[in-house]
Amino acid sequence: MIQFKNVNKWFGKLHVLNDINLEIKKGEVLVVCGPSGSGKSTLIRCINRLEKIQEGEIIVNKNPVHKRSSNLTKLRAQIGFVFQQFHLYPHMTSLQNIMLAPVNVKNIPKSNAEKIAIEKLEQVGLSDKSDSYPAQLSGGQQQRVAIARGLAMSPEIMLFDEPTSALDPEMIGEVLDVMVNLASEGMTMCVVTHEMGFAKKVADRVLFMDEGKIIETGKPDEFFDNPKTERAADFISKILTH
Amino acid sequence: MLADFNFRIIFEYMPLFLNGLKSTFLISIISIILALMTGIVACSCRISGIKIIKYPAIAYIEIMRSTPLLVQIYFLYFGLPTLGLRIPEIQTGILALMLNSGAYIAEIIRAGISSVDEGQIEAGVASGLNYVQRMRFIILPQALGVTVPPLLGQAIVLVKDSALLSLISVAELTRSGQTMTSERLMPAEAFFTVAFFYICIYLCLKTFSDWSQKKLIYREAY
Repeated sequence: MIQFKNVNKWFGKLHVLNDINLEIKKGEVLVVCGPSGSGKSTLIRCINRLEKIQEGEIIVNKNPVHKRSSNLTKLRAQIGFVFQQFHLYPHMTSLQNIMLAPVNVKNIPKSNAEKIAIEKLEQVGLSDKSDSYPAQLSGGQQQRVAIARGLAMSPEIMLFDEPTSALDPEMIGEVLDVMVNLASEGMTMCVVTHEMGFAKKVADRVLFMDEGKIIETGKPDEFFDNPKTERAADFISKILTH
Repeated sequence: MLADFNFRIIFEYMPLFLNGLKSTFLISIISIILALMTGIVACSCRISGIKIIKYPAIAYIEIMRSTPLLVQIYFLYFGLPTLGLRIPEIQTGILALMLNSGAYIAEIIRAGISSVDEGQIEAGVASGLNYVQRMRFIILPQALGVTVPPLLGQAIVLVKDSALLSLISVAELTRSGQTMTSERLMPAEAFFTVAFFYICIYLCLKTFSDWSQKKLIYREAY
């Protein structure tokens, strides 16, 4: 469903993505981890072209993302993206946040879009917060609204860029629960996260990156318990010690 | 000292002052509306990626902001006729105020737009909204809140700047003070009255500004 072929990307002199080859299948849940600056966020941001690549090919659903001619609007409508900092629109209620794209990108009539939005809010357990503004919600609730906003476009792929890193510890669980449910429904997901519990529970594959390269991939249990490379072992010991 | 202050003469000249007030008011309103339109166009050009419209917009904004308004007024009033373009003084004055304030307004709007968090734009991009939709639904509503107070500040500046039009003999408020002074030699009474009316206009705009800040800015928190 998502294919990276010899992808290279530089920020100035910094080689952020170094010869990436990767395939993500339909229904697969991929967890990407690695130290900060390793290119993991950049990797998933390339999938809906929030970042452009300089070399190689990225093909999403037979759509060549790297080409100028690709229909980005159509592509992005199929991909939900959840940011670390939520990025909800502060001047809109939860419901309006969720309805904006379906109404304007997919031209769904307002009444239908509202039905969908209410449904998605229920799915993330926030049906009572439909008229709240982001500032009235806790971080965990905001992130769940952001997930509902992504789901309202009925995407085929959901991308998560460190969805729990900006949250208080007590709110991480509620967001992960939503994501676990989503995974069990068969959504294709690509998640940048260090939440090992989540990875072990739902990930089909863990991908470890460092300095723009994919260092290691494997099943979550194998990866966390018996990493093949020293770099990965070092990283895991660091996130585990505390 | 106060005993020398002649209130009667003020009332005698009241029709002249009210006429001047009316002119200042009309000139300001028309100039503000035109300047707002100029500013929106100049700002759109300024932030666009198209070089042919971007660089002229930058040049216009920078020239207006780096030269005194009086020089701009004199250029249009004395300079243009020698180049073969003759415009009546009121229109010249409005044109000068429009061009001058338009440049400042363009920068005010640009500041408002760039104050919106980059992440908001990314969220819009990621959900497939196009440029116009992102502007309309995400950026402008948030920019409006921070833009309105400085815009009204600019409107107040424009009203006060319109006093310079007296120098090209536009019969506005300051000019009526000059007229009375030259006829009766009573500058204290004349310019006290002129100042009083400017304060009145200022207070009207200020009231509107305070009201708009309560009404237009979306609430950050409750």
